[in-house]
Amino acid sequence: MIKVGDREVAWRPGMTLADLLEEALEDGDFYAVVRLDGKLVSRPNFATTKVADGAQVELIPMVAGG
Amino acid sequence: MTSISLKEIKTFTYERPAIERGYANQTLYIDLSRNFIEIRPVSRQMKDVFIGGKGFDLWLLWQAVKPDTKWNDPENAICISSGPMGGTPAYPGSGKSIVTALSPATGTVIDSNVGGYFGPYLKFSGFDALQVQGKAGEPAVIFIDGVEEKVRIFSARDLPDDAYALSEALTEHFGGKKRRYISVVSAGTGARNSLMGCLNFSWYDPKRKRARYKQAGRGGIGTVFEDKGIKAIVARWDSVSLDTNNPADKEALKKVAKLHSREIVELDPKQNQMSKIGTTHLVPIMNDFDLLPTNNYKFGQDPRAILIGREVYEALFDPGFDGCWLGCTVACAHGVRDFVPVTGPYKGKKVFVDGPEYETVAGCGSNLGIWDPHVILEFNFYCDAYGLDTISIGTSFAFVMECYEMGLIDSRATGGLELNFGNRPAALELLHQVARGEGFGKIVGQGIRRMKKIFAEKFGADPAVMEDIGMESKGLEFSEYMTKESLAQQGGYGMALKGPQHDEAWLIFLDMVHNFMPTFEQKAEALHWFPMFRTWFGLCGLCKLPWNDIVPEDNKDTEEPAKVMKHVQWYAEYFYAVTGRKVGPDDLITMSEAVYNFQRIFNLRMGFGRREHDTIPYRAVGPVTVEEYESRRERYDRQLKEKHGVDIEGKDTAEKVALLRKFRQELYEKLKDAVYKRRGWTADGIPTLATVKRLKIDFPEVVEVLKANGVTE
Repeated sequence: MIKVGDREVAWRPGMTLADLLEEALEDGDFYAVVRLDGKLVSRPNFATTKVADGAQVELIPMVAGG
Repeated sequence: MTSISLKEIKTFTYERPAIERGYANQTLYIDLSRNFIEIRPVSRQMKDVFIGGKGFDLWLLWQAVKPDTKWNDPENAICISSGPMGGTPAYPGSGKSIVTALSPATGTVIDSNVGGYFGPYLKFSGFDALQVQGKAGEPAVIFIDGVEEKVRIFSARDLPDDAYALSEALTEHFGGKKRRYISVVSAGTGARNSLMGCLNFSWYDPKRKRARYKQAGRGGIGTVFEDKGIKAIVARWDSVSLDTNNPADKEALKKVAKLHSREIVELDPKQNQMSKIGTTHLVPIMNDFDLLPTNNYKFGQDPRAILIGREVYEALFDPGFDGCWLGCTVACAHGVRDFVPVTGPYKGKKVFVDGPEYETVAGCGSNLGIWDPHVILEFNFYCDAYGLDTISIGTSFAFVMECYEMGLIDSRATGGLELNFGNRPAALELLHQVARGEGFGKIVGQGIRRMKKIFAEKFGADPAVMEDIGMESKGLEFSEYMTKESLAQQGGYGMALKGPQHDEAWLIFLDMVHNFMPTFEQKAEALHWFPMFRTWFGLCGLCKLPWNDIVPEDNKDTEEPAKVMKHVQWYAEYFYAVTGRKVGPDDLITMSEAVYNFQRIFNLRMGFGRREHDTIPYRAVGPVTVEEYESRRERYDRQLKEKHGVDIEGKDTAEKVALLRKFRQELYEKLKDAVYKRRGWTADGIPTLATVKRLKIDFPEVVEVLKANGVTE
């Protein structure tokens, strides 16, 4: 299982962050940055970042900060 | 108590008024040329139209100066104000001060927003705003003592020259055992010897037992401060509670403050973790999206960014509470304990560094090709201590380094400094030279606009190339974001009233990453709403971070997630709770519009404020050089083919650079048209008479400025 915020999502081998956001969230494309097990990962790296079983993912809303 | 020698030359005794609904209802005027002190009333109209903070500052400055006033004329005024909500201890981010003056960098109005305790202490001492004109004959310390109800002017010859030691010494001298009740505003030698001086606003950190500070960085107000012969302005107040600001509806205030404060405590650890790492999380994120300025904004990405990112500073920051105002749960003002500089007057001594924030990391790090977190800390420390703006220093040094690498200037110009990107010792030596006003540093401290002229006249550098790569607009250096792929943010910088600072609009993610505003009209709407709402924080004494850096978990499901409307509604309730004026979200925008348009007309009065002044260098718009184009060739080739319908077969890179430039510059001009129309301005970027009437700023002198510039409808 993977925890996305407070939600549990089923894990599968080879799963990437891009897969996770597309499969588990209706609004996955809203997120440009997530925190995966404490480390920030940005959208350009979602497709190449593997998610381990038991991972904790926090969704970081970044829209108009700065 | 530190033994420092201050000679009292003027004492002014007053009766402190009760604060009413966030206002003291009077301002403090000081003319240092005459040692004259006077209290002036705040009118109902001032509160209705200008609200407070930046609005009050602008109104006072407008009265103080004439169209031909220069930044170093005695009549130029430094105005400091918090705002009606400033000084509320329970609502996050409610301790800001806004400073304005005529800027040595731009020649027109500059405003800068800063934390620290000064603004609230000034208000609770009895003054909504402070206005200082004139020039002191000897270095002066102004002491506004709300406890003793006295304003005193001292002459001070032997005080420390740098803000780091001076803040500490004056906090101890005036605070004794109650240092928490002191806030010091000071600049430093760098501010005196350059045109990019900042002001340091202190707050006392009881846990670390030291004065900390935040900076009003932009536009050289610290230079004006030094030019006036001011060594420091000190405010003293007593303990602060919710009652100190005497809000109109305390229960409503408690309720809304609790909601926002608790939400931050709950969500910041899940989101940006600003209470742990400040804004340093932006470094890796900007790098990933090709937005981290690198080597004078040539590139937006470098694999070494990880060396100066979030993890590194998280390890370096001294853990503990770092709120720059009481009760702020964002608490992002982090610092590094026991840092030991390797150069300059503090070489080998342990110091506390207040920072760095993202802007300093990018400006004095990646943009200079410096990937060393300790050198960035050293820049941070000395810029603060010398009273220099880290953004203008970083962006100016980046320009110099590119000029040096391009051969536009050589080591004869730089006094032997080899200013290649990444040369850490040379960059630090240049910083000390700027602060001392010596050698090549004396030229660099003038800022990019003047450097371009000096390099052309003195060293024969190509003016056209420098126009393209010198990252300034209106005379102010750009802050630290890449804008080449975000037309909206090009507008956010280019059409910002004071010059290219991101505090008016930060639209890169909305525009480039999320593509939420594909049309010109949508971009123009964003370049109306966001600058207006962000302006509102500066009217009220607030920090904008709690608004949209930590957002409700259901925000993404709202109609306009970028605006974080739940928080906007809270701010409307907060405004009512303090001032008693019932308002909704739209009213907040209208309040800002009045002040925003007034500032645009103020610019016009000073000879700026037209379409031509919203020009930005091409480096902010697209690739200037073949090297830049080639580094992102796939992206640019695709745009030429798919977006602009160009057959690129057989065209060399130089031709493609020229074609892309033509298209992108046309788009920027079209954006200006759309934004001016949305804001109710003429095609030349001037507010129409109908606009100023709608906003109730049609004072005779405002209408006269419009008429003098051909606007009569």
